[in-house]
Amino acid sequence: MNTWWLSNQILIQSTFISLLLALSIQVPLRAGVFSFAGVGSYAIGAYTAAILTIRYQVPGIVAIGAGVLLAAVVGYLLALLVARLAGLYLGMATISFALLLGVLATNGGDLTGGATGLYGAISTVTTEHVIAVAVVVMVLLAASERGAFGRKVDAVREDPQLAVSLGVNVIGVRRMVFVVSGALGACAGGMNSLLRTTVSPETVGFHLVVTALTMIIIGGALSWAGAAIGAVIFTWLPSLLHTVGEWQLLVYGLLVAFAAVYVPNGLLGLLQTGWRRLQRRGRRIPAEGAAAGTSVTAAQDPEQELAALGGPTGEARP
Amino acid sequence: MAQDVLNALTLGSLYLLFALGMSLAWGTIGILNFAHGSIFMFAAFSAHLIVREVSLPIPAMILLGALVGAALSVLLQVLAFEPIQRRAKDHRKAELQILVGGIGIAIIPLAIAQRITKSVPFGYSNGAFSVSTYDLGFVRVSNIQLLILVTALGLAGLIGWWLRAARPGLALRAIGVDSEVATMMGVDRRRLALLTMAVAGGLAGLAGVLLTYYLGSIAPETGDAFLLKAFAAIILGGVGSILGVVVGAMVLAGIETVVLVTTDGSWTPAIAFGLIFLMLLVRPNGLFGRQEVRRT
Repeated sequence: MNTWWLSNQILIQSTFISLLLALSIQVPLRAGVFSFAGVGSYAIGAYTAAILTIRYQVPGIVAIGAGVLLAAVVGYLLALLVARLAGLYLGMATISFALLLGVLATNGGDLTGGATGLYGAISTVTTEHVIAVAVVVMVLLAASERGAFGRKVDAVREDPQLAVSLGVNVIGVRRMVFVVSGALGACAGGMNSLLRTTVSPETVGFHLVVTALTMIIIGGALSWAGAAIGAVIFTWLPSLLHTVGEWQLLVYGLLVAFAAVYVPNGLLGLLQTGWRRLQRRGRRIPAEGAAAGTSVTAAQDPEQELAALGGPTGEARP
Repeated sequence: MAQDVLNALTLGSLYLLFALGMSLAWGTIGILNFAHGSIFMFAAFSAHLIVREVSLPIPAMILLGALVGAALSVLLQVLAFEPIQRRAKDHRKAELQILVGGIGIAIIPLAIAQRITKSVPFGYSNGAFSVSTYDLGFVRVSNIQLLILVTALGLAGLIGWWLRAARPGLALRAIGVDSEVATMMGVDRRRLALLTMAVAGGLAGLAGVLLTYYLGSIAPETGDAFLLKAFAAIILGGVGSILGVVVGAMVLAGIETVVLVTTDGSWTPAIAFGLIFLMLLVRPNGLFGRQEVRRT
């Protein structure tokens, strides 16, 4: 275990960093906001942390924290700017925001180190810190997916008009996901540049958008667990694909294409449907058990839950 | 100065050929194809593989590129986008899935081309065509530049006329406004979608071959860069508007050339992104886009 830990430290680190990055796109997606601003925030966090560490020798936690704060503020301002946009247009606007930051970094002169980037951002951040942060984030997100708040977010995604009519603050939720997404992305970026002690414009390009998106799609877009599954698969897949050698990228593309077309809810979606089917089969025999079974499935299915929220069936719920 | 204008027009024409098909598919059948850049590159690459064996004249090469592009695009529509549209619960989900599917599929041709070329740029050195330049005194024009200009503007005019005047064009625009009502009026949505994708892929393949002739050689990664430029051109002009794409592509190429000539060029990539962002903030429908008529 210990030797495994030491020899795979880099992969373990990148698993959790990719997880945070994937979450920065999954969180807006859960509220129906199609935003890639998390990738831009990754750049903000990465450069802020590196600059503060190299120039002012501040402790790692302060450097990352400053990046997170800055990205959260930028996320809020961006949310105000792009409030009119939705769907693909919002996606395009946020992609160009992220890529624009990459060009800015290339042209930043001494501050960002130009095309070569920055080197020597040495700090005391360790793998354990990264894991701790990721676990805290996952617990918080898991909590936000439950209860009244979780249902509110689901309502904003599935039917914003209905959500407004039910008194959900749709605009507020949308702004909040931009802020959260900014903070998560910056946290991932900051930790990555401090662990690798370097950052360059190449690390924040279009490929980052592709990576984060594929993780969420393969894992499942509706829950933090989906992002976690995707992050684990895509960080460890390259070492597993050793056998196919140079065709690695091809296998990767085929996997993503297949998942996007035929498994739209990701692996998590597959697991959930399978689990529900098992439960239903087990409880079909006694009459009372069948009723209990349906109420359990209703609690897990956001759509039925919404129907319950909006329709007269709401009163029938225990 | 005149030389810069000509170069900008040529670049704009290449952007136009590439973006025309994307805009057509996005504005009518609602498919934003992220694999368009890959199709463009792979068509040029296939032509490169063939010309290594047989020395072909330029019309054959262009035809070959267009055919490969159209075939790939139709294949993509049948294998990926049609199943997605059939299975997706609503329009918004389908849009997102088509985008992600396109990104995933785009990796496949890229991986094949990178593997075979080892990421070294490829060209048509064995082809039976050589670039010759004519000196007009104030400006130097090459035969390939003329070909690009004539093809791009001619095809844009043809497609614009077809959409406006021909019955299938009218049917296609009807799908863009409301696909359900169009189907009720007897429009065969599936057939027209396949036709649109074939035309889009064919234009991409054509643009790929012409670009390779123009630059001498291209790298497998060129498709991605063109994809982002095409977005800028489409969003600047307005999704679905043919005149919009023409103006968008020319304006983008014009600004890029100005920046390239006056500065050291490190800011050039920012222009496309900046234009997309600004246009979406100020005028999301683009310069010539129509008001969104879709109802939820």
